[in-house]
Amino acid sequence: MTKLLFKLLTLLALASMVLAACGGQSQAPETKTLRVWIQWGDNPQQIQTLFDKYTAETGIKVEVTAPLETDKILPALTGSEPPDVLVLSGGDLVKSYYKEGLVDELTGAIQAGGIDLNDFFEAPLDQCKMDGKTLCLPWGTDMYALFWNRDLFEAAGLDPETPPATMEELAEFADKLTKVAPDGTIEQIGFLPDQAWGHSDLYIQQFGGFWYNEDGTKITVNSQPVIDAMLWQQQFYTKYGVDNVMAFSSGWADAYMSADYPFYTGKLAMYVDGEWMTGPNFISAFKPEASYGVAPFPPPADHPERANTAVVQGTVAVIPSGAADKEASAKLLAWMMSPAIVAEEFCFNANLPTSKKAAADPCFTENPKFKVFTDLISSPNAKIIVTTPISLEFNDAWALVEEQVLHTGADPKPLLDQLQADFEPKLADALK
Amino acid sequence: MLELRLGRWKLPLPQFTKWGPRDRLNFRTGMLFLLPWTIGFLAFTLYPMVMSLIYSFSIYHSKAPLEWNGIKNYADLLTDNLFWTSLFNTVYMVAIGVPLTLFASFFCAVLLNLKVRGQALYRVVYFLPSIVPTVASTILWLWILNPQAGILNTVLGYFGIDGPNWMTNPAWSKPGLILLGMWGMGNTIIIYLSGLQDVSVSLLEAAELDGANWWQRLWNITVPMVSPITLFNLITGVIAMFQYFAQAYVFRGFQNLGYPLNSTLFYSVLLYQNAFQWLKMGYASAMAWVLFIIILVCTLLLLKVSDRFTYYAG
Repeated sequence: MTKLLFKLLTLLALASMVLAACGGQSQAPETKTLRVWIQWGDNPQQIQTLFDKYTAETGIKVEVTAPLETDKILPALTGSEPPDVLVLSGGDLVKSYYKEGLVDELTGAIQAGGIDLNDFFEAPLDQCKMDGKTLCLPWGTDMYALFWNRDLFEAAGLDPETPPATMEELAEFADKLTKVAPDGTIEQIGFLPDQAWGHSDLYIQQFGGFWYNEDGTKITVNSQPVIDAMLWQQQFYTKYGVDNVMAFSSGWADAYMSADYPFYTGKLAMYVDGEWMTGPNFISAFKPEASYGVAPFPPPADHPERANTAVVQGTVAVIPSGAADKEASAKLLAWMMSPAIVAEEFCFNANLPTSKKAAADPCFTENPKFKVFTDLISSPNAKIIVTTPISLEFNDAWALVEEQVLHTGADPKPLLDQLQADFEPKLADALK
Repeated sequence: MLELRLGRWKLPLPQFTKWGPRDRLNFRTGMLFLLPWTIGFLAFTLYPMVMSLIYSFSIYHSKAPLEWNGIKNYADLLTDNLFWTSLFNTVYMVAIGVPLTLFASFFCAVLLNLKVRGQALYRVVYFLPSIVPTVASTILWLWILNPQAGILNTVLGYFGIDGPNWMTNPAWSKPGLILLGMWGMGNTIIIYLSGLQDVSVSLLEAAELDGANWWQRLWNITVPMVSPITLFNLITGVIAMFQYFAQAYVFRGFQNLGYPLNSTLFYSVLLYQNAFQWLKMGYASAMAWVLFIIILVCTLLLLKVSDRFTYYAG
């Protein structure tokens, strides 16, 4: 009996080996498939359809995986079969990945694919540069501006066509647009600085600084512009009582993609959001009758030259250093960056194109609200968010400080001093 | 018979006799059957554990070779505020969540053990939540705990209670998660229920004849009789709670991990952030080993202390 079992098991083992060997042979080398991984993607099917065009043009199959969780990216880049092109949601990690040898410097690929760097808007391309090297190429981008509800403006006796011209005026408007019941309960709020997520980067740039110096070699998070920006934001909470504002705005972020979003329901009069809101998938989908305006976020009264300041954030494409066929990756990357493809993809998603030629497409210019953003991206005050190898860790620590200042009313100065003390050595360490 | 003496334990040593062909065949067949598990253990448990121990003393680079770092990772943990925050949050869950869940599930098990009509139905109803996947149940609870439209605060409102901001108030986020955990305690209830079946009927009857009331019978007979079950549930509960991750990961909604104000930054969440978001694999490995030691010490401590409270029949 045992002998029979032993033989059976041996047979089974042999059979599986033979099968495995067959599997290896069946992969013919000529039917190559390129793999593109994209971190974002509300509509993976649409992205696959876009890349199917590449297959139609070249006969090379492209398999799209989107969206991705952040934690899948690192194992894929370190493993033996990384994707051939990887599109990240932001430039935060590119420098870290490059330092770890996980992604390629793209000069060779740019030449091989004939990619015209002059066709890229400068601001988004800047986030890919380090020490004269190009580590990534921006593929579509996001910018933020001020959205206001015209009906609420009218009801408060304000001109529905005129947004606040300065940050100080914005605070005055916000006060007029806020309704508080006699018992302190808030019924309508004029402006919420961190809806649906933090926008401190924008406010700090308006105050004339940032939390890193320009080349990302120093932390300047306890500098005056940062403190001023935090105090400016804090007033929108403390004026009506932090707890009241918190109770009123609780759950708002989770309603982002629904008709219950406070901006649609008339609970929130002004806030900062991105260009996609003006496209077909957000306001027009959830509240088509909404009457709203969009304008660049205003500068402080004593610095009118900072008008049209905007922060550029957005997706970037990289070639993993372990990609099997670099030439194929470069060709695919060049195709992705071609103005026609950029126009098609970002017109569909209502995101900003990073190619100047693509931006001339009527799709991006005929909607006057979207055009606010198209104009902003070529503004000389459009700036990238400086990134460093410790960006992600810093961003999480920053988010906590922002929460403490806004949601508990804490004094920003000591918190920012502490942040400065914590991260100075970390950045120095990472840049060694 | 040969014996190995270790303190008060005596281990019989195997007798070495010459193996016949049949013994050898048996041995080989046995080993073959063990092979899949052994390979799995070596490749997926032992190897990663050994490597993480090595990583914990070094700076990990994805492509470049490891950089020896001595005990710096461990030393840095001591001064890392986030480490202490996450440890506090986790200990909070262990110290409050686990006993509360144990108590509630014992209570439910006692109720479900009563001979009433529809007993099977009640048991199913109480067990049902635990087959809901973690992510689905957590998202469901995000809705239940929603301060404006959530059913919990609405029901509390009927009793004139102004429900808290479960998701945005750091003082209430952990209690919210504990509630969510208690909703899915079906497994613990089932184990208690099986323990209750083993409580000797003759003891209960004898006590009843002696005039003990329901409460006295419960406290003096049932509770001690199921104490080994309590110990088991306690230890598995403590271990699981120290590794608490998925619910916290989902519960923040669209906010940062740890939202609000790092009150849901649990040990495993911080470990995940260090390893997969901040690319500090060595530091994360050190955290994993510290957690391993904490859990080991807690378990041994519980076993030691339990000698005085646990009753083993026979």
